[in-house]
Amino acid sequence: MDFDEAEDQLVIFLMTSGPSTPQRCATPFYLGSLLAAMDCDVKIFFTMEGVRLLQKGVPEKLTAMEGGKYIHTFMQEAKRSGVELIGCKPALPGYELEPGELIDEVDEVANAGRLADLILSCDKLITF
Amino acid sequence: MECNGCEIRPELYYDPDFQIWARREEDGSLTVGMTDYSQSIAGKILHARVRKPGTKRPANKPIATLESGKWAGPVPNFFDCVIVEPNEEIMKDPTLLNLEPYEAFIAVVEPVNGVESALTGMLTGDPACEEFCRRAREEGWECSRDIR
Repeated sequence: MDFDEAEDQLVIFLMTSGPSTPQRCATPFYLGSLLAAMDCDVKIFFTMEGVRLLQKGVPEKLTAMEGGKYIHTFMQEAKRSGVELIGCKPALPGYELEPGELIDEVDEVANAGRLADLILSCDKLITF
Repeated sequence: MECNGCEIRPELYYDPDFQIWARREEDGSLTVGMTDYSQSIAGKILHARVRKPGTKRPANKPIATLESGKWAGPVPNFFDCVIVEPNEEIMKDPTLLNLEPYEAFIAVVEPVNGVESALTGMLTGDPACEEFCRRAREEGWECSRDIR
């Protein structure tokens, strides 16, 4: 696979990991940045505990390893590469979250139907 | 010249955020690389991939991707261009980008609308150096070529 074959593919990351497993929380953004730089259309859909990464005050203090870069910085770099961040609306009440409590980098808060459409239409689906 | 330990060369052209440099070549092409400041932010570069010769790249579509221990992403592109020659050396040894940022170019590109058009909006000469030093001071930019 090279750049030309990667171009314009829709890649969906289903992010279910959250602050309880910080070691799992940087790679999706790193890999997403790379794929977006290769001209893939990359969207990260946060559901289950993943939505906690979108809560203001959480990614700003969370690192994947001791002394490492904050998850929020990884997110901002992914956004600069063109990655879109989508929060799962039905998952928010389970963590007592309201859409207004999410970080500014979130592009969209969507229902499960949106995720279903993305899954059915994407070229690659990766779960973290 | 240097500011806050970051080298900047007046004969080159720079984007407004000093991420990349470009050098005019006699045949109308541009040689493009990453600045000392950019390589310092990226840290030790572990992998570099440059687009193939003949690949068309519109402005804002990257000419290459880089991976370091703490960052992965695009090498920004400011010109509507065609890749003429990727630097094979940096794909074999990406740390050259850290060690010799102004010698280890990323690619030679041909601007689709000519060199003058491509360099419009880029900074060069003393004004580029003065602007770089001002931002380095105000924003605390620092550079290092230590890749240990």
